[in-house]
Amino acid sequence: MIEINETITKTDRKSPYVAPSDLSQIGIVMKYDILKYLRSSRLIGFVAIEALVLLLITAIPPLLGNSYADNADEFINTYASFAGILIIIGATLFAGDAIVSEFQNRTGYLLFPKPVKRCTLLAGKFLASTGAMFLMLFLYYGVALGLGLLITGRFSILGVESLLLAMMYATAAISVGFLISSVMKGTTGAQILTFALFLFIFTIITGVLTVSGMEPWFIVSYSGGTISYITQDPYPISGTAIGGTEGFAPGGIEMTNYYPEIGVAIAVMLAYAVISLVLAYYFFNRRQMSA
Amino acid sequence: MNEPIRTENLTKNFNGFRALDNLSIAVRKNSFMGFLGPNGAGKTTTIKILTDLLSPSSGSAYINGIDISEDPKKALTDLGTVVETPEFYPYLTPKETLAYLGELHGMGDEDLRRRTKEVLEIVKMSEWADKRVGKFSKGMKQRIAIAQAILHEPSVIILDEPTSGLDPRGMYEVREILTELKKEDYTILMSSHLLNEVQQVCDDVALINRGQLLKIGSVEEMIASANVRRLDVRTLTETTESQLKEISQFKGVSDLESFGSRDFSLSLEGADETQADLLTGLQNMGLRLVHFKENGVTLENLYMSLIKDSR
Ligand SMILES: Nc1ncnc2c1ncn2[C@@H]1O[C@H](COP(=O)(O)OP(=O)(O)OP(=O)(O)O)[C@@H](O)[C@H]1O
Ligand SMILES: [Mg+2]
Repeated sequence: MIEINETITKTDRKSPYVAPSDLSQIGIVMKYDILKYLRSSRLIGFVAIEALVLLLITAIPPLLGNSYADNADEFINTYASFAGILIIIGATLFAGDAIVSEFQNRTGYLLFPKPVKRCTLLAGKFLASTGAMFLMLFLYYGVALGLGLLITGRFSILGVESLLLAMMYATAAISVGFLISSVMKGTTGAQILTFALFLFIFTIITGVLTVSGMEPWFIVSYSGGTISYITQDPYPISGTAIGGTEGFAPGGIEMTNYYPEIGVAIAVMLAYAVISLVLAYYFFNRRQMSA
Repeated sequence: MNEPIRTENLTKNFNGFRALDNLSIAVRKNSFMGFLGPNGAGKTTTIKILTDLLSPSSGSAYINGIDISEDPKKALTDLGTVVETPEFYPYLTPKETLAYLGELHGMGDEDLRRRTKEVLEIVKMSEWADKRVGKFSKGMKQRIAIAQAILHEPSVIILDEPTSGLDPRGMYEVREILTELKKEDYTILMSSHLLNEVQQVCDDVALINRGQLLKIGSVEEMIASANVRRLDVRTLTETTESQLKEISQFKGVSDLESFGSRDFSLSLEGADETQADLLTGLQNMGLRLVHFKENGVTLENLYMSLIKDSR
């Protein structure tokens, strides 16, 4: 009897471990991606950039002899208007190379033969990126709102709404970063493209469309403008203005100032987030480790 | 049908170039197969398909009978692998890397701690366990790669040139590890260019060229079928020219070469009996033999002739 048992266990031995559910694997991937951010000092670097931005915004007005805005919403507006650029930097750091690095740096040789689905990897990495980014936004807005409370004596609710919009914009930017990362061949190229897309390309398209009298509602960086507009009371609405000096110049160009509508902006940001992520999954799933 | 590693009519095209052409190989349960072929033959391509790094143009690959394209997660659960020289996350330590990969396999804290210690000892990297991998040399990374392949005690192991980049001692140590694995119940497929290594550790070999299978079978049978073996001989005292000449007249002997005054090697055609006769013959000549040994390049000769034929 014993002998039979032994032969069975010997020839049918399998790895005693069973790969966990996709959901728990998402958590594992996320945990180690965040550890990688911590170790590579990306998070620390980002905190340093935020500290610098906060310091400049807060220190320059008194140095110039100006006083701070005494309205809490107005106070937060300056800070909110820089959130967009921080998000672009964050998307570049946390998303731009997320996928492509596994291919270019050959770590995929280690990771892809593991019993883990590509969509699990994508989800874990995406959550790590957005998690890191949200953390950075909480820190930034936390300090800004705290300063506002301290200086104006009032807490800006619109500032919190701005934070929520910033989180949405960040999610969209990271998704686009993941899409770029899943198709590009090199990490540097992917990161530069992510950065340039938000910083110049979208801005140029927005500018050109505006001049041609068309509202660029479908450009996500235009939607991201809501992050600072929301802190203005009342919320600005699109309208015609005469170009030049406040409409005094004769023959000035007539042009429309466009302001994104909140509802549309939220829808556009969500659409960018979802569509880019789905496309990122499509390309990542098909991508082969050929180099 | 029940082989733990199997490919069926595997074909892979890269932009019109056919890297694999209807390749079917199977590795028997608990056997160790050497995977041979010249540069560009398609070994890495086959292994990449078996480890879900590439998808086949047509045909199928199975691990433990599970089609890798159909259910990769299930197929890869019981597999450990080293493909090419992988890179590691430079900011993580070997311990953290093993923890990451082990957790993905479902290993708990306790098992992870125990196995991490074990495998790092096996690959002699214990003292580096907590250093970041970023600055490791190629050979050190290769050792960590081997460690992660056996971490979760898989029953199927696929290795692509596991000794590449290792120093001579490293190669020796890996060969020791492989020999150990062989004693246990692992099923292993290993590509290699080191034919004496393959001859030493493998039960079977598959030889491919230009994506096609040339020969598959047991090492013993192949060597037997080659019917020619190369022998190294060392004598206690000097062997004279006339003695060498006499030896070259023995039955089946050809290509006699001497190195220094006490060493010579020769090719012998025939089976074990001819070899035994030769030994008796040498001793009858009054030669005192220090060693008389097959030098392990038999497989190499066979390899060369098969590759030449397929050119
Ligand atoms: N991504 C790719 N794109 C185009 N051709 C490729 C690609 N990968 C491999 N090949 C080609 O496929 C063939 C087989 O390559 P493979 O790497 O499988 O060979 P190999 O047997 O592992 O060789 P080596 O002994 O040099 O490692 C080669 O001719 C190679 O040029
Ligand atoms: Mg190869």
